[in-house]
Amino acid sequence: MISLHQVSKSYETPAGKFSALRDIDLEIDRGEFVGVVGKSGSGKSTLLNMVAGIDRPSSGSVGVAGTAIHGLSENKLAVWRGRNVGFVFQFFQLLPTLTAAENVMLPMDFSKSFPFRERRKRALALLERVAVGAHADKLPATLSGGEQQRVAIARALANEPSLVLADEPTGNLDSVTATAILDLFRDMANQGTTVVIATHEADIARVIDRRIEISDGKIRPSSV
Amino acid sequence: MTTLWRKAIRDFWHERARTALVVLAIALGISAFAAVLSSYAILTRELDRGYLATNPASAVIRVDSIDDDLVNAILQNPEVSDAEPRRTISGQLKSGPVQWRNVMLFVVNDYGNIRVSKLVPEKGAWPPATGEILIERDAFQVAKASIGDAVIIKTANGVEQPLVISGSVHDVGQAQARMENIVYGYINLATLAQLGEDPYLNQLNILVAENRFDKDHIRRVVADVEEVIKSRGHEVRRTDIPTPGKHPHSDLTGILLLAMSSFGLFVLVLSGILVINLLTAMMASQVRQIGVMKAIGGTRWQIARIYFGQALFLGIAAVIVSVPLGILGSRALCRYMAMFLNFDINSFAVPLWVYLLVAVIGVAAPLIAAAYPVWSGTRAPVRVALSDFGLSQTTFGASAFDRALTRIGGTFSLIAFAIRNSFRRRARLALTLLTLAAGGLFFLSALNVRASMINTLDQLFGARKFDLTVSFVNSYEMEKIQRAINNTQGISKAEGWFATEASLEARRFNVVALPPDSQLQEFDIIEGRSLAPGDTDTIVVNNALASREPKMRAGETVMLRMGNAETTWRVVGVAREAFSPAVAYIPHSGMVNNLRLALDKSDPDAVSLVKADLDRNLEQEGVRARSSVSTADTRFAFDQHMLMIYVFLIVMSSIIGGVGGLGLMTTMSLNVFERRREMGVMRALGATPRIIWLMIVAEGVVIGVLSWTIAAILAWPISKAIGDFMVKIMFKSGLDFVFEPVGLLIWIAVSIGLSAAASFLPAWRASRVTVREALAYE
Ligand SMILES: Nc1ncnc2c1ncn2[C@@H]1O[C@H](COP(=O)(O)OP(=O)(O)O)[C@@H](O)[C@H]1O
Ligand SMILES: [Mg+2]
Repeated sequence: MISLHQVSKSYETPAGKFSALRDIDLEIDRGEFVGVVGKSGSGKSTLLNMVAGIDRPSSGSVGVAGTAIHGLSENKLAVWRGRNVGFVFQFFQLLPTLTAAENVMLPMDFSKSFPFRERRKRALALLERVAVGAHADKLPATLSGGEQQRVAIARALANEPSLVLADEPTGNLDSVTATAILDLFRDMANQGTTVVIATHEADIARVIDRRIEISDGKIRPSSV
Repeated sequence: MTTLWRKAIRDFWHERARTALVVLAIALGISAFAAVLSSYAILTRELDRGYLATNPASAVIRVDSIDDDLVNAILQNPEVSDAEPRRTISGQLKSGPVQWRNVMLFVVNDYGNIRVSKLVPEKGAWPPATGEILIERDAFQVAKASIGDAVIIKTANGVEQPLVISGSVHDVGQAQARMENIVYGYINLATLAQLGEDPYLNQLNILVAENRFDKDHIRRVVADVEEVIKSRGHEVRRTDIPTPGKHPHSDLTGILLLAMSSFGLFVLVLSGILVINLLTAMMASQVRQIGVMKAIGGTRWQIARIYFGQALFLGIAAVIVSVPLGILGSRALCRYMAMFLNFDINSFAVPLWVYLLVAVIGVAAPLIAAAYPVWSGTRAPVRVALSDFGLSQTTFGASAFDRALTRIGGTFSLIAFAIRNSFRRRARLALTLLTLAAGGLFFLSALNVRASMINTLDQLFGARKFDLTVSFVNSYEMEKIQRAINNTQGISKAEGWFATEASLEARRFNVVALPPDSQLQEFDIIEGRSLAPGDTDTIVVNNALASREPKMRAGETVMLRMGNAETTWRVVGVAREAFSPAVAYIPHSGMVNNLRLALDKSDPDAVSLVKADLDRNLEQEGVRARSSVSTADTRFAFDQHMLMIYVFLIVMSSIIGGVGGLGLMTTMSLNVFERRREMGVMRALGATPRIIWLMIVAEGVVIGVLSWTIAAILAWPISKAIGDFMVKIMFKSGLDFVFEPVGLLIWIAVSIGLSAAASFLPAWRASRVTVREALAYE
């Protein structure tokens, strides 16, 4: 499903070149639930961004579901991402002037993936699935953090992606809510979706299939 | 409706006050443009329709006299569809006890059968009976009389004949009587006889049969007609061929409207700047949202469409607001122009193409303005948009300029802080300053152009030391006239001049012969020298003639034809005379045909008294005055024309000032919006709402003062250019430029007031935000 080959990423900083990822080789199978753990600044987000096509490797190749995404243009990447990847952010990142349901409909509108009329119905079903159906027509600012993250997860599922990536999805939530959110991801994986979660908290062992530990831009050999 | 459109609309609704400001500003621009454009469409249509409806003469031929045989002979020519005899004779009209006014009498034989250059009866009698006169509707104010009044008319022969004003007519083809300061009167042949004139007609209004708009064709036909006239023993005195199908003022109208429409476009461009500011700020504040949208599958174009959609909305809303405004504006403008040109507007209907053009431009302008901000705002790659790195928020303090700014004021003060703050968004500041400064520039220009026009006229009229000009029908010996002058009270100085025409290679211009040591006329010599006592064959030309005739340079010798004689003249100098037609001045000797008088008192009543007294005394000497014009009346006519330019510039500067004010308001509200967090911090550190409020108003005022500085620096060259341009259009002449310093004072007051007012609302809103709200804002 996911295969990274000799992926490196370095940033130009005022202090010189900084290597955020070094020679990463990684294979993740379909339906796997993988946790990428590491300290803050270790390179988790960078890694996830490579897989989502949000960022490009400085060298190496990234293949997702048979597509060599490191070679796609920004626009092609966006289209590809819209259809194949769902992304969940640490700060939820719901659009503030759209209601919960509209936020969920947004990826469908971008990808034109479902008939226009079905989009809202589908959005409501997804919100129901993550247990915030009652809040469908509320604006994000009126929702709690946990509710917002649930909406964000519904949004990530909008186009039935085969891959869901989540970058510290529980980082801004209390532990009870965090547990509930992680369970949602577990459900997703159980239904065949590949899920990759980045987190700096170690207590996700309970839900994940495989743990990849990363530090200083390298994957700890023991963890793979 | 997809979620994308909903986002576009809701984001705008979320900031509705600011959105409304920008819509209003664009609407102002479009309204100005729409008003001028529809006026152009209405006026050109109505002016030409009204003028063509009178069946204007293709040519006017003046002959010695006309009889039926001559008319019939001319009509033999199949190329001539009509030839109508008329007569135009100048005279004077008196409605009150003393005041004589110049009158142009149009004599028509058969009012029931006018086919060429038609008159439109308005009120009262039609046709005028013998002993009656009709007055052009615009001339009643000049005549100071109304229908039913008896007025005294006299022509050059001196017979004073009372006539009753029995009605009014509209003569579309004449320039506005008030502007020309002359009365147009219409009488029949029998009335002409009552005035002591031989009752004959001497002017043929010719209408060609085909190709009525082809001047060359008209010229050929007229040449044939002239041959016929000559072959029958008549004399052709003068032939005039007006531009076919064009009202005499239609060019001027077109140029004026052109100038105005370029102004309308300019305002539109300025309001486009607001769109740039608004969208640049929106794009900056939505980077993260844009990043998220890209992350969940939005392409750059899909996302850009949201913001283009907003620009589209701005344009459509503005067009909707401005169509009625523009129509109202165009009505006012059309009425004003119609009054100026003395014609009627039958229909204010605005043609469809105007609506379409306004809609297209109104919708396109914000879209074009949005292009750069939207395209560059959607450029950031997802990673950059989402990361806490990357996106370099403009950091203050990086450049030497910033550090220089921090030195202003030395210790911390509100003003120093406000100055620093206003420089944080350079591009936005520059664009805001541009609109505000433009308003200031037009205002200062209006005052400067006005002052310069007054100055120029003062110079022109200052050189004329006479208060009154009396023209005679014939030429007389000065002794005769001197006796009349001696018998008249209130004349301090008098000179007899001689005015005629001359031609150089068949191009005509005026010649004025005056005493070489004239005390009543001074020359502003710009080349060579003035006339001097003892000169005989010397000539001084004014700048209008010098620029028309390259041969007329100091030191050159020219052959001029005057009457039937060709004579040689030495050009000794060129004199500057603003707003004048081409004139050559030569030393006077012999007979005089006009009189220049300096009076003891030059108020209108004193001038009228002298006029009346002198007329009587001249008559006793057997001298017939054709017209007398006071210099003050001439000046009045000039001032009327100048007023138009001035009013136009003032209207312009207030509209641009309005756009500038709205722009500043938008800028301030954006500045405040972006700095909410910072203000929260300041509040947390103990700043009172009052301080926050003052700080923001001070920032607005700093921008206002900056814009004033720019306007003040540019005002001189720009107002000179504008003044020269407008005066060149209207008078083909230059300006004696002066700078009006009071304008600077007024405008700094307006700038401070406007900028304080524009930042008042944003400042008030900012000062009300609580610390918690401000810090929580994301
Ligand atoms: N745009 C960037 N420019 C420079 N350095 C960056 C940039 N993005 C990330 N980094 C650096 O790369 C390293 C890895 O970052 P990241 O992948 O965000 O870590 P994590 O998500 O594990 O906290 C960090 O040290 C970070 O400072
Ligand atoms: Mg991270």
